[in-house]
Amino acid sequence: MADVFIPGSLEEAVGFLTDHPATAMPIAGGTDLLVDTRTGRARPDRLVDLSGLREIGGFELDGELLRLGALARIRSIELDPELGRRATALVEAARVLGSVQIRTMATVGGNLCHGTPSAEMPPALLVHEAVAEITGIGGQYSIPLADFFVAPGRTVLAPGDLLTSVRARVPSSRAGSCYLRQTVRWSMDLAGVGVSASVHVQGGAVSNARVALSAVAPVPMLVAGLEDTVVGTDLAPEVLAEAGRQAAEACSPISDARGTADYRRQVVSVLVPRALRIAWLRATGSWPEGSPAPVNGVWTREQR
Amino acid sequence: MPAVRASELQVVGRRIPKLDAPEKVTGQIAYADDLRMSGLLEGAILRSPHPHARILSIDVAAAERLPGVRAVIHAGNVQQGRFGYGNDNAPLKGDKVRFIGDEVAAVAAVDEEVAKRAIELIHVEYEVLPAVFDPYEALEDSSPSIHDELPDVSGNVSMRWDFDHGDVDAAADRAAVIVEGRYSAPQAAPAPIETHVVIASFTPSGHLTVWSPVHMVFMYRKALADVLGLDWRKITVIQPPVGGSFGGKIDIDTHDFIAVMLAKQARRPVRLAMSREEEFVGTRTRQPIHFRLRTGADAEGNLLFRDAEVVSDNGAYNAWGSHAMLVAMNTITSMYRVPNSRIRCAVVYTNKNYGGSVRGFGNPQATFAVEQQMEELADALGMDPMDLRLRNANQSGDVTPQGMEITSCGLSQCLDIVREQSGWDRRRGKMRDRHRGLGAAAYIHVGGGARIYGSDGCGAIVKVDESGQVTLISGSSELGQGSETALAMIVAEEMGVPIEAVHVVNSNTDIKPWDVGVHASRTTFVAGNAARMAAAAARDKILETAAELLDARASDLRIREGVVEVAEEPDRQIDFGRAVRRRLLREEGSVVMATAFYDPPTHHQDKEYRGNISAAYGFGAHVAEVEVDPGTGMVRLLNLWTAHDVGRAINPMSCEGQIEGGAAMGVGLALSEELVMFDGLIAAPNLHDYGLPTAVDVPRTVVNLVETVDPLGPFGAKGVGEGGIIPPPAAIANAIADATGIRPREYPMRPWKVKHWIDSEERSHVVAGKDSSGHG
Repeated sequence: MADVFIPGSLEEAVGFLTDHPATAMPIAGGTDLLVDTRTGRARPDRLVDLSGLREIGGFELDGELLRLGALARIRSIELDPELGRRATALVEAARVLGSVQIRTMATVGGNLCHGTPSAEMPPALLVHEAVAEITGIGGQYSIPLADFFVAPGRTVLAPGDLLTSVRARVPSSRAGSCYLRQTVRWSMDLAGVGVSASVHVQGGAVSNARVALSAVAPVPMLVAGLEDTVVGTDLAPEVLAEAGRQAAEACSPISDARGTADYRRQVVSVLVPRALRIAWLRATGSWPEGSPAPVNGVWTREQR
Repeated sequence: MPAVRASELQVVGRRIPKLDAPEKVTGQIAYADDLRMSGLLEGAILRSPHPHARILSIDVAAAERLPGVRAVIHAGNVQQGRFGYGNDNAPLKGDKVRFIGDEVAAVAAVDEEVAKRAIELIHVEYEVLPAVFDPYEALEDSSPSIHDELPDVSGNVSMRWDFDHGDVDAAADRAAVIVEGRYSAPQAAPAPIETHVVIASFTPSGHLTVWSPVHMVFMYRKALADVLGLDWRKITVIQPPVGGSFGGKIDIDTHDFIAVMLAKQARRPVRLAMSREEEFVGTRTRQPIHFRLRTGADAEGNLLFRDAEVVSDNGAYNAWGSHAMLVAMNTITSMYRVPNSRIRCAVVYTNKNYGGSVRGFGNPQATFAVEQQMEELADALGMDPMDLRLRNANQSGDVTPQGMEITSCGLSQCLDIVREQSGWDRRRGKMRDRHRGLGAAAYIHVGGGARIYGSDGCGAIVKVDESGQVTLISGSSELGQGSETALAMIVAEEMGVPIEAVHVVNSNTDIKPWDVGVHASRTTFVAGNAARMAAAAARDKILETAAELLDARASDLRIREGVVEVAEEPDRQIDFGRAVRRRLLREEGSVVMATAFYDPPTHHQDKEYRGNISAAYGFGAHVAEVEVDPGTGMVRLLNLWTAHDVGRAINPMSCEGQIEGGAAMGVGLALSEELVMFDGLIAAPNLHDYGLPTAVDVPRTVVNLVETVDPLGPFGAKGVGEGGIIPPPAAIANAIADATGIRPREYPMRPWKVKHWIDSEERSHVVAGKDSSGHG
């Protein structure tokens, strides 16, 4: 049983967490923390309930900039049509996170701060060039989201630090993104491999592209060095295959109950080309608007 | 009883929602976990952290000193006997532990937190022993002996199931085509939403009442008495509504004994509720079975023989899982007409959680091997697999090599239906370019009782009170399968009253008559016949009274919608309830009550596994359509067409629900469910990692009910509870084979396995330069 502290402001929350570094944990949606508490992975004596801190909730678009409050609910991202057009990867990642009930409670900040290697939000945000905004006892600072994750279950946050928001770049035209994954079940599953891609197009060729992976390294990761392969091309099959090879080489998966390391590498080399291709189709207006990508990038489910 | 034409039926055949559905969907029903009583203590179990270890000492002093603790028990301070086939098990282990999760000690305390803390205070000193997890390794001489205390057990072989019919070797010499392969079924779990919960309470005079969602209540009561040295006349077992069993709650389990011992020691009622983790780790699973199977046929496609070497991975002790071969054997010898068969099966102890009874009981495992081999054989013969099946299909009048007497049999009709609906002839083998495929599988399963005990029978009491309410007191139990509704419909039909007038009482051993218990898809058939007989006898009493009152002959009367009328002159009538009152409320009156007992004409199998174990057999066929992603190995199940010979659908809605639910479980077995273990430790004992399928994973399931009107079933009905789960693993494997050319050798067919098979197959093509599928 833990005591619950309800802070009146962000400062109060930070102050309380700083004063009780070993025993207090912040709680927002609680979808991970309550499970961890029950299984004994987390044993907080004090919970700081962030849910009343409106200043770090919700999300807003300002030109090409998306500011996502740490308390933004996954379900509200999933259902937003404008985000669906401009931050498609994010919305596709949100769509497959847990169940509707989980998504209704779960927050962006919680999904990032829990530090799960297979979490859905990180790869989708990484391809949108996300930056984490952090408030701690020493004030505010920001770091690229790619540097936010340290190890499984660990982030850069020091005791007392709170992730307050994430800024991401979501262009309104000539750009597309997508999130794909491999799972055992077709819903309510964790990614065995998660792949997100974004593509910017200028003059019929890729001007910028990013690929991020989850569940295939200790932390969610951006694949470095892809620009040389894809920029300036129209993502012909051999270019996509090379990008897939590079991504498979860049990652460092492990073998566990959800698949072997070899298998995961192979899947990376398969899903990265698919994700880039779908992002390209979206950037060039060739993908039906509002139509989500199939979970693994190839399905057209026909139910006769 | 005479056959009844469908057109004459008033209630049977109607689509009636389950009678308890409103209480369940509104959350008002009180499951075992909702029960509370004054002075109730919470129990907790200390389980072994080692897969195999000798217990050197147990120190409970610190736990006993913890405030709030009312009892701490272990093998050294309780009176307990042994149980399990061959008496290889004890509720609390004193000498050795044999799997991670084995019960060592238990605590009863004022609340759950204190009980858990007390468990942590018990100190057990172990001498860790070498453990063995693979049943083939367990058979080797160098393997550790898991039951060295049992003189009859050598080489970790708990029992053998060997069967011979005809001459397999001679048949093999004659065969034009023989296919051979290995097929493995994993350790799966029944995974009901309600975990096991038991409450035990003694009165001061020593009468024990146990609340437990078990479905063989009378055998449960006897086991409690035998193992704990209690007087079984002083035990009442009450079965609260069951929140899912799927076989997992069939019979007594270790924690039931523990709860009773705790209650005895503490002199207070004790509740023992399994957590989800304990449900996976410490209650019974589906027996993993490994088959090496050969099937041979002549050039025309007549089956000549089946030859099986089987290793059944028993886990640490003999529970029902050790007998899963009883049913798996039926499938190997009797699915289709097979003139010669040979089975060599060893049930092998391993240091793992042990197998119990789960829906289908050995049949999904065996059908996975047998029905894949039918399609491999058809491919080798250049025949259509449906033609091969139809050529060899069981027919009415057949007696199988095990002596199973096939009476009603709709197998061919079921095959025809799913063949037609799936577009089999147009589409099978023609969609590989799109990575799509169709696969089929059929089944045979007991559907008219299954004699595994002295009695295969069930008692029924029908009582009609002065309001006109009809109460059926059935020996059988409701597990959520809808038997209460089906039995009420049978009684309503037989008595001519509306279904609303019938109540079913079935949850208390003090009240209800004997039933061997719910298993083997037998309830509608056996309990249904008993209910029908009792209802007929009660009806005749009412007709006798009504005949007096209407001045007619009883044989000229009929009852419809609760009104007794002269058949030829319906204006001469009397209300059903009024007839009951006129019989009761007079001098020398009498109540309307009748009893019946139905024991089906089934036989124990002899020592050679021959005998007509069931009075009817259920049949069915499925076709699955899949699309395989060769890049990731992910399999999307697109369609499932099913046809089941149910004899007669007492309640079509319920039959469809049973078949859809069974099929959904079969889909989970096929594609996702597995208790993944590392060195005997279940990696992630939760519903997510276990891979229970969601609604998204289960496709539209077309259900066809084939009514063959069984000669002995109540109104022609046969069992339907288990059929749905049996074909999907085989049908889906066959569909994957059709889509990709690979041959799945084990389930669940999780993505990395499918990917691995596809990639290996491509490599073998390069090496061998020919299609090597179909020959393991």
